[in-house]
This record gives sequence, C-alpha cells and structure tokens, in this order.
Amino acid sequence: MADGVRISFTDVAKRYDLRVVFRAVSGEAMPGEVLVITGPNGSGKSTLLAILCGLLRPTRGTVSHVLNGDETAREEWRWHLGVVAPAMSVYEELDAMENLRFFARVRGMDEADQRCRECLELVGLESGRRTPVRGYSTGMAQRLKIAQALLHDPAVLFLDEPGSNLDPAGKGWLGEYVHGLAAIGKTVVLATNDRDEMKWGQNHVTLAG
Amino acid sequence: MRVSEALKWLLLVWLAVVIIAAFFYVRPAEGFIGESSRIVFFHVPMAWIAVLAFLVSCITSVMYLKRRDPKDDIRASVSAGLGLLFAVLATTTGAVFARIMWNAYWNWDPRQTSITILLLIYAAYLALRGAIDDPERRASLSAVYAILAFVTVPFLVFVVPRIYWSLHPDTIINTRGSNEFDSRYTQVLMASLVGFTGLYVWLYTIGCRIESIRQRRRQEVL
Amino acid sequence: MSRLLVEALAVAAKDLRTEFRTRVALNALGLFALTVLAAVSYTVGPYRITAEDRPFLLAVLLWIVIFFAALAGLDRSFVKEEESHTAPLLRLAASPTAVWLGKLGFNLILIYFLMAILVPLYCILMGYKILLVGGFVLILVFGGYALAVITTIVAAIIARALTRGALFSVLSLPLLLPLLIFLIQGTAGAADGTAETVANTLRAVLSMGGVMTIVSAMLFPVVWAD
Repeated sequence: MADGVRISFTDVAKRYDLRVVFRAVSGEAMPGEVLVITGPNGSGKSTLLAILCGLLRPTRGTVSHVLNGDETAREEWRWHLGVVAPAMSVYEELDAMENLRFFARVRGMDEADQRCRECLELVGLESGRRTPVRGYSTGMAQRLKIAQALLHDPAVLFLDEPGSNLDPAGKGWLGEYVHGLAAIGKTVVLATNDRDEMKWGQNHVTLAG
Repeated sequence: MRVSEALKWLLLVWLAVVIIAAFFYVRPAEGFIGESSRIVFFHVPMAWIAVLAFLVSCITSVMYLKRRDPKDDIRASVSAGLGLLFAVLATTTGAVFARIMWNAYWNWDPRQTSITILLLIYAAYLALRGAIDDPERRASLSAVYAILAFVTVPFLVFVVPRIYWSLHPDTIINTRGSNEFDSRYTQVLMASLVGFTGLYVWLYTIGCRIESIRQRRRQEVL
Repeated sequence: MSRLLVEALAVAAKDLRTEFRTRVALNALGLFALTVLAAVSYTVGPYRITAEDRPFLLAVLLWIVIFFAALAGLDRSFVKEEESHTAPLLRLAASPTAVWLGKLGFNLILIYFLMAILVPLYCILMGYKILLVGGFVLILVFGGYALAVITTIVAAIIARALTRGALFSVLSLPLLLPLLIFLIQGTAGAADGTAETVANTLRAVLSMGGVMTIVSAMLFPVVWAD
C-alpha cells in the first residue's frame, strides 16, 4: 500500500504564445480527498490536469508532489500516479493484456501478469480477449484506460472526464470505486463538467474560462 | 555622443578604410589571377563570422537549456540568422573566386564542403524554428538541434579534409593557409577580420534588441 | 542499470510488436530500397561502370539507397506515438532514457534488417566485388549504428514539432552528411582492398557514433518532456 501523496499547486498559470489559458490558480489535494476541477469548456481543465501530473510545464507557478512530508522529484512521479484522460490513448494495435503488460514492465513491475488480469476483471473486461484495442467500443477502451491507471496501485489518480463513454452502470461503479480509493487514503484529482462526477468531491477548484 | 554611437561611427570608418585599403593599399598577390586576391579580404572574414555566429548560437543554446531564459533563445536565433547570411555571402564570394582561379564555380574541395554543410545546418535550424508555434517548445527543441549540429562540426572540419585528399589528389590547394604574403596583405586581412567582427556584433545587438521588444509586446501581464 | 535495460527492452518489444502488425515503417523502408535498387540495377547494371571506378561509385550508390531508405522509415516510432496520442501515457509511465534506448534499439533492428536484405542483393545485382569483406561488414555494423543514433534523436525532435513532413530529412541530412562521406570512402576502400582507408573510416565512424550516443542520451530528456 502506497503512502499518501499531497499535490499542491501555487499560482499556476499557462499561456500558449498569445492565448492565456488560465492565470494564477492555486489549490491542494490531500490524501483521502477528491479534488474536483471544474469550469466551462475551454477553461483549461485538461491543461491544468496535465500540468499537475507533470506532462506540461506551467508558464508560471509551482507544482509539488509531497510524499510523507518529502517533496518528490519529477522523475519519480511515474510510480505514484495514474492518469485517465480523453487525449491519452492506449496502443490500438495491441490487445488489453499486451497493453497492460507493457505499462507494467515499463514501470519496472516484474511478473505482473496476475495483477494485469486482476485489473481487467476489476473494470469489467475479459482478460482472455485477443482483439486489438482498435476493435473495442469507446466504453471498453475507456475501461482499459482506467485499468491502465490502476495497474501499479498509484497513490494519486488523475481523472479527466473519466465517465465519458461509460454506460450508467459503469459510471456508477467508477463513482463508488473513487470513493473507495479516497477512503483508503489515496489522492484523487478529477477534472469534469459532469454534474454527477462533480459530486464525488467536496474540494473544488473552479477555472474562470 | 554616447559610447555606443561613437563605436558605430568608428565601425563605419573602419570598414570604409578596410575597403579602400583592399583596393589601393595592397598590390595583387603572387599566384593569383588578376585582381582576384582582393576577394580574400572579404571572403575570409565572412566565413569566419559564419563560424563565429554558429559558435554563439550553440553557446546560447546550452545556456538556454540551463537557465530557460528567453533572452538566450533570442540570442541563439538572431545569431543563427546572421550566420546564415554570412555563410551565404562566404559561399558566393568563394564560388566567384573559384571560378576566376580554377574555372569552376564549385568543385567540392574541403572548405566548400564544410561551408555547404554549415549552410544546411543553418537552414535546417531556421526551418525547425519556423515549424513550431509554441515559443517554449521552439526554444528548447531548436537549442537541442543547435547542440547536435555543433557536435558534428569537428568531424567535418578535421576529419573530412584529411580523408578527402586520398581520394581526390587533384583537389586544389586552399589559399587560406598562405600566410607568407607581404605584411600589408596581412594587415588589411586582420583589419578586415576585426571590422567584420564588429559588424556582426553590431547587427547581433540590434537584432537581439528588436526581438526582445517584439517578445515583450506579446507578453500579457499574467 | 539493468532496470533501465529491462524497461528499454519493453519499449523496443512494444514497438516491434506494433510495427509487425501494421508494417508501415517496414513497407516504407523496404519498398523504397527495393524500388531504387531495381531502378539502379536496370539503368546502371553490372557492366556500365569501368573497373577502376567501381569501388567508389558503387559505394556511393549503395549508401545513398541505405540513407534515403532510412529517412523514409526511421521517424516512424516517434511520430506514431504523437499521432496516435499514445505518447502522454508513455511519458507518464516510462523513464525518458528507457524510451530513448528502446526506440534506438527498434531503429537499429530496422536498419540492420534493411541492410541484411539490401546489401547482398545490391552486391549481386550490381556485381559489386568486395575484397575486405570483414572490414565491409564492420563498416555496415558501425555505420548503421551511427545512422540509427542520429536519426533517433532527430525523429524525437520532429515528432514534438507537430508539423512533420519533410522536416525529418531536412534536419537529418546536415548531421548525416559527414557520416555518409566517411562510409562511402570506407566502403570504397574495403572494395579495392585498401585496409588503411577502412581503418580510418572505422575510427571516424566509431567516434562519431560514440559522441552522438552520449549527446543524444543527455539531450533526449529535454526533447521528450515539455
């Protein structure tokens, strides 16, 4: 079980040449908590999420991931975070198990086949299917992305509109699962416009747009 | 008059004197056809500046990757633009010279090969910059490319000529190494080198200032 | 260190697996090489070049085909990640150096595969006789490595530039020209039996490959991250 990671960001701003996405956003996500990022379309929710998980550099401001009181270096973030986002895909030419096996190996997990199968079952996918992801429905692909994010049991989960493409049953399951994660001390950062998803957390950061 | 203005006037006078001296102060050198030796006073400094500009580009690229100061990126790109200009000038004057001396504009002797590759590097660098919109990404990617290009240059300059000789024994002897000319010749050549370096520094400073202003105008208060 | 190798191997294996199922890079490389080879063989053939020019001119043609085939396919592994939007998850999961090593390995396999098929075919069709076969093989191996190292880092750069097209060739060629010159001269030397030329070339290619490896390893994380 991983220890709690606190995500804090101060005065984060992002600008692409002439276009300002957002200015001076601050906040904190504590272990055991779900931080919800909301805002109208185009306000930069996905951008902020990308900055928080280390994919993008902010134009200004700082982001820190603090594990047990010590700030972790960016190179080490990959072990304690999992991300689900519409803009981030898994490999279409591989099937579900091959995808998960790859992500496990590349994170340094040995002998992870059993764990991969568990994650697939958890999200409701069959581990025996040999069809490449290209042949999946959007709902199945979304489930696989969720499995990929949970594979290494990360302390932080970043979710960008995770319920998109999921059927109501799937969304319900995900909501409960996220609550369960928070209950055992994981940190969840959720970017969404969905009214139901917004209720998953009390702590909100709203982008002006 | 401020120091910078005085220096500008000094540069003008200096270069004017160099040009006049190149034609009237020095006699045409031995072993050269007609007046063609005079081109060396301009061709050599231009080639030198093309290389110097490349060096500046690379050093500022390294500094950008270390400090992420946008000014370093400006310096790198301005220097590259100037380097391209001088490389083109050096290539053209070199080709004209080659035509007069050896009846062929281009024969791929080691120096011509080296300056061509430098030209290609500049062109590639500027093409890369032109293809990226995001200023930060443009700065870091072009800085990486400048460093990569710089690393391949020693192989060109030192290794290519040596190996090249063995396969093309009839390649023309390059005249840049001939230092046994009379002292007037060397004087004017040195003066020209200094003058052209001054010209580069002046253009570089102006270019950096212009780019800085342009960038500041684009900056919003965050 | 072994951790790094295991992760790099995972990246390379993944690239090989996806490439095998789509065969895009292989097709680009292979079709280009075979088409040009056919054209050269048909128009020039084994008889048209005089005996004294053969070592050099046939070396030139061979390396031109190899280089341009490489430029047709070696940017694939990076460009595909960005185009399919799989790069972000890879960036989040893997260490940059493992990604670089893995994709370098993938490109190496592509190049060597290309050479294994192209070079014997070329020698047969063009009647290229090589006196120093051992030297020739070494030139191919180390030259291929240097080619892969340089194209890998350039491919990483243009994949991030998001407007690829001809940029890969434009950026690669100035860096590859010195290498190309060495390899041609070395191959000509291997063909006509001049051991000294071969030794010089190997020295140059090895040092070039070595330097570019170190510089690429240091600069890749800058290119890969934002």
